[in-house]
This record gives sequence, structure tokens and C-alpha cells, in this order.
Amino acid sequence: MKCNVAVMYMHDYLDGDLAREDTKQLQLHLSECPSCYTRYESLERTDSLVKALPIEKAPDELSDRIMKSLPRSRRPSAWTSWVRRHPAVSAAAIFMVVMLSSFVSMWNQSQELSISGPDLEHVVIEGKKVIVPEGQKVSGDLTVVNGDVQVLGDLDGNLTVIDGHVTALASTAHIAGEIKTIDRAVDWFWYKVSSFFGTLAYGS
Amino acid sequence: MYKDKLYHLAYRMTSNRQEAEDVVQETFLRVYKNLDRYDENQKFSTWIYRIATNLCIDRLRKRKPIYSLDAESSDHEGLDGYAMLPSDDRTPESELLLSETQRLIHEAIATLPVKYKSVMILRYLQELSLQEIADVLEMPVTTVKTRVHRGREFLRKKLEHKL
Repeated sequence: MKCNVAVMYMHDYLDGDLAREDTKQLQLHLSECPSCYTRYESLERTDSLVKALPIEKAPDELSDRIMKSLPRSRRPSAWTSWVRRHPAVSAAAIFMVVMLSSFVSMWNQSQELSISGPDLEHVVIEGKKVIVPEGQKVSGDLTVVNGDVQVLGDLDGNLTVIDGHVTALASTAHIAGEIKTIDRAVDWFWYKVSSFFGTLAYGS
Repeated sequence: MYKDKLYHLAYRMTSNRQEAEDVVQETFLRVYKNLDRYDENQKFSTWIYRIATNLCIDRLRKRKPIYSLDAESSDHEGLDGYAMLPSDDRTPESELLLSETQRLIHEAIATLPVKYKSVMILRYLQELSLQEIADVLEMPVTTVKTRVHRGREFLRKKLEHKL
């Protein structure tokens, strides 16, 4: 065995990391190489001296100092740690909040009367009231937002009233399609969604 | 109790009681603040030792380099490195080094280069295994081994002629 290999073995041995077979070889080498033996003794002594250093105990008042330095409350971190642990749910929740608030604000903003339909020529508007006059015929659907509707004549399509009422139909009235009244945000939401998909399906 | 173990670690690393106390306090503060980031797959002792060791290493790096305590300083006539060490006069009588031998070992450890010092202290004074040291310092076991060997040789050379 060469001396440089022996030194490596010495360190591994002191680490408790040398195989039994190698230890025997090292032992053999140390018995016939005085300089390596001296070196091993010196390393072994260093090891045991370092291990024998007394343990320094922390001063008693250190515990108090540490306890005083710790912040009192840990409340906020419970919330943030939940967010950190569930990123997908948090993102979905934020998305829902943003979507809902935008829908609600859009629903609240539109307080103005608006009418839509393919044939508005014969429709009469009085203040907040939309009237289909007697003897007149409106072809196609009619949608009224933020207003009441009175139908005296003919309506050749669906009638949709959002945030408003349909006043009692006159005997002369005739509505070919169905009448829908929407006055809540949720219904309005569904109306938006279904009309959106209707647009997709029929392209109109 | 971690307090004493960490204090012992920090004291051997920094060779200064005041700094050791600061390191222990800072370690507990960081543990407390980052408890929710603690990875449960690793041992708690590994984590707390890592925080403490890193704080010690940071402090040693921030110090002005003192290359050799035995060399006379060029700025201050007649003063050697020992005279320029931060004085530790809080409780001088508690430095109960019973023998010249203990003082020599203490000084030998104090002069170890930082990268060997942390490994040697964790190995000999905290009795961590090579694998545990590798986990604490986040380096391969082979590197830890090499550093233990070099550190041991360093100490041997320091102490050889004095003992």
C-alpha cells in the first residue's frame, strides 16, 4: 500500500467509513511504516481532542430574550398559507369574484330605457312606458330593458321585458310568441348566456 | 433542547458570545416566521441547523478579513490579530477553558477556513453524520467527506507542534 492511499484510508477510518478488508490492509501498512503510524496517531489525537471540547451552554436569559422578540400574532399567515397551498382554487375564486362583480355592475349601470327588435317603427314610447298601439302590427321579437310594456296591437314574435312589467294585456292584443319577464340579476345572467349561445348556434 | 445546541454551534462558528446569542435569536425568529414553509419531508433538526449555519457563515463573511491572527497588523504597530478580535468582556470568567490544551483547540478551530469550520463543527461538536451534514449544507456527501478530511489535516497541522 502506498502512503497517500494509507492517508485516505486513515480519514475514512476515522469517519467510520472504511470497509473491514481495507481496515486490515491499513493496519498492516501502519505496522510497517513508522511515518504513517505517527501521522495516524496525530490525526486520532486531534479527533479526540476536538470531540472533548466542553459544550458551551446558552445563558439563561437568552430564552426570555427570544420569546420577547417573537411577534405576537400569526393570524395573517394562516390565510396566506391557505392561498399558497391551493393556488388553483384561489385563482378560480378570484376569477368568479371578478366575473360576478362585473356582471352585477353592468346590471346595475343600465338604468336607461332601451328597446331592441327588428321592427320598432310602430312602437310608441311614453316616458318609461313602451306601447304597441291598437291596430298596429309589430313583426319580429321585441326586447325592452328598464321599462313597462303595454301591448294593445299585434306582436308577431317573442316579448322580453327586463326590469319592467307587462301591464295587463288588452283584449285587442295579440302576441304570437312567448312573453318573458326578467327582473333579477341571475335571470339576466342566464338570459345573457343563453342569448350568447343562441348567437353562436344561429349566427344571428 | 435546540437553544443550547444552536448556541454551542454559533459560539464555535463565530468565537464570540454576543454574536452567538444574536445568531440563536435570529434563527428562532426565522423558524417562527417561516414555519409554514417548512418541508415536512426533511428532518426538523436539518432545517434549523441549516438556518443557523447559514446565519453564522453570513456573519463570518461580513467580517473584515483577518488572514492570520498571529501576523502583526500593518496598521497598528505591535498589535497582532488577537488584540483586534471583538472583545468579549461580558462574562470573561465563564470562559472556563481548564487547560492550555483546550485553549489551543479553541484557537485552532477559530482559525479554520469557514468552509471547513462549518463541516467540522457539525461533525465533531454536534455529532451529525456525514449524510446529515450534506443535508444541512445542501451539498453532496463526497464534498462533505473531502472537507472533513481537509479540516482534520488543518487542525492536525495547527496542533501537531503545540501538543
